[in-house]
Amino acid sequence: MNPKIDLDHICALANLKLTEEDKKRLAPQMIKIIKWVNKLEELKFDVSRGELYSSVSFFLPFRQDKRQPSFSIEEALGNSPEKNGGFIKVPKVIEEK
Amino acid sequence: MNLTSLSVTELNTLIEKKEIKTEEITLAYLDRIQEREKDISAFITVLKEKALASAKKIGQKKERGRLAGIPVAVKDNILTKGVRTTCASRILENYLPPYSATVVRKLEREDAIIIGKTNLDEFGMGSSTENSAFFPTKNPWDLRRVPGGSSGGSAAAVAAEQAAASLGSDTGGSIRQPAAFCGLVGLKPTYSRVSRYGLVAFASSLDQIGPLTKTVEDNALLTQIIAGADPQDSTSSSLPVPDYKKEIREELLSIKAAYLKEEALEDINSEVKDFYYRTLNAMEDIGAELREMDFPSWKYALPCYYITAPSEASSNLARYDGVRYSFRHPRYSNLQEMYLNTRSEGFGEEVKRRILLGTFTLSSGYYDAYYLKAARARKLICQEFEKAFEKVDFILTPTTPEPAFLIGEKEDPIAMYLSDIFTVTANLAGIPALTLPVGLNKENLPLGIQIVANFFQESRIFKLAFLLEKKVKFDNNKLNSHRKEE
Repeated sequence: MNPKIDLDHICALANLKLTEEDKKRLAPQMIKIIKWVNKLEELKFDVSRGELYSSVSFFLPFRQDKRQPSFSIEEALGNSPEKNGGFIKVPKVIEEK
Repeated sequence: MNLTSLSVTELNTLIEKKEIKTEEITLAYLDRIQEREKDISAFITVLKEKALASAKKIGQKKERGRLAGIPVAVKDNILTKGVRTTCASRILENYLPPYSATVVRKLEREDAIIIGKTNLDEFGMGSSTENSAFFPTKNPWDLRRVPGGSSGGSAAAVAAEQAAASLGSDTGGSIRQPAAFCGLVGLKPTYSRVSRYGLVAFASSLDQIGPLTKTVEDNALLTQIIAGADPQDSTSSSLPVPDYKKEIREELLSIKAAYLKEEALEDINSEVKDFYYRTLNAMEDIGAELREMDFPSWKYALPCYYITAPSEASSNLARYDGVRYSFRHPRYSNLQEMYLNTRSEGFGEEVKRRILLGTFTLSSGYYDAYYLKAARARKLICQEFEKAFEKVDFILTPTTPEPAFLIGEKEDPIAMYLSDIFTVTANLAGIPALTLPVGLNKENLPLGIQIVANFFQESRIFKLAFLLEKKVKFDNNKLNSHRKEE
C-alpha cells in the first residue's frame, strides 16, 4: 500500500516552499523512500515499551558555573544579514490590522 | 625529493632532522594544488596566504608541535574562525565563523597548517559530493568518477597529494566510503571520542569527526591529536586518549574476528567480494582466528538510518531561517515569507528531501510509527553488536558494495543511499570503524575493507590495520607516480 503524505502540510511545518514542478518530482520519491523504510514494520515490537537508543551511556557533565569570556556583540551578530544598534533586524513579527 | 608523496610521519622526520623547512612543504603542496585543482576540484577555499604565513611563523619557532608544518585540509562543515565555512550550501555561502572547531584548534596547537577547506555533499547529505551547491569533486583515480561522499573533497585532496592528511565527518559512512573510493585510510572514531564542537550539526546522535590519511600510522597520530574531552561538548568522553601511534607497534595478543556470511554479500560487486576474501586470507596469515557470523538486524540498518538522520537533520537545520546565518532572500513581504524564501532558495534538493522526510517522520500521528520504531530498531542493532563482541574482537566487512561509480550514475536517491550499507551500522551503534585500502580492481580503482570494533577500541583497530597494511601492501603513490609517467 502506498503511504499517504500530505506534502503541502509537511512543507508548511518545515518552512519550505516547493514549486508545482518540485512537488511532482519529490512526491513520488518521498513515497518510494517511505515505502522502503517501512521495512521496519517487519519488526513486531511494541514501541511504547522496551529500551530506546541513547547515544552516550555516561553522565553528561555540566561545565562549572563560572563566568568566562564570550563573544562580543559584533562577533555574535557578525553573520546576521541585517542589524541595527546591537540587534538583529527582522520584518515585523506582529502585524497591524 | 617529491615532498607531496610523503606521509605525515615521513615529513615529520624530515622536519625534525632539519632537512627541510616548513615553508618548503607548504609551497610544495600549494604548487600541487595549483597543478591538480583544475581537474579535481577538491577545495571550496584554498588558504594560500594564511598557510604560507603560518608556515613561516612555525618555521621560526624553537619548540614545535607534533604536526609542525604539515598541510592538513579540513572539510567545509568544520568551523574555522574568520575563514568562510559553507557546508557546500548556498545558505551558508558567505558564513564567517566567529570561532574555530575544537579539532581545528587542536591541529593548530600542534602547528599543523590548515591549507584549505574541502568540498562535500551539502551539509554532509550524500555519498558522491555531487550534492555540493558549488561543483562536484572528481576522483583522482579516474576523473569520470565520484570521489565518494560526503567527505569527497577531503578524500580527493589527500589522494591527489594536495594535502598530507585531512579531516572529514562521518554520519553514515561519510569518511569511510570516500576514503575507500580514493585509496585512503579513514576512521570514524567511537561516538564521543572526538569533540563535535564547531562541527555543523547534521544528525547529532550519529555525527563524528575523523581523519583521512595515506597510512595507518598517520591516522593513529591524527586521531590521537583530535580526540579527547572538551568542556564545549558535553557528549565528549573523559576517557584518557591512548598513545595510538606508539601502540600500533605493540603486539596484538588476540585477533578474533568475524566475517560475513556469503548471503550477506549477495548483491555486491564480485571484485569487492574477491578482495574481501583475500583480506580474510591475509588475516589468517597474521594469526587471526576467524569465524562466520550472521547479523540479521543489519537489513534494517539503512531504513533505521533514513528515519533517524533526516529526523535529526530537520530539527538541526531549522536554524537557517534568514535571521542569523548570512543568507537572507532579498524578496519578502513579511516574516513568514522571509523564512520560506530564504530556505527554499538556500537549500539544495537533497537537503530539502531530507528535511521533508524528517519533518514527516516526526510529525503528529507518525512519530510512533517511524521515529520511535527506528529508535527501537537502533537498540536492536546495538544489542547484536554487543553479543558479537562477547565472542570476537573485530568484525570485517567490505567498506562499500562497489568501487567508485561514475558521475551522474546514481539518479535514484535510494540507489545512492545503498552506498552506505556496510558503514551505517557503526554510526547507529556509536562504535569505531576504519577503512583500509587493500587493492585495485581491474579498472585501477581502489577497494577498501572495513574493520569494526567495540567502543573505544581504536587502538586495537589501528594495530590490526597496521599489520594488514604491511601484508596487503597497497601503494597509494601508485596513483600519482603512474600519472607522472603519462
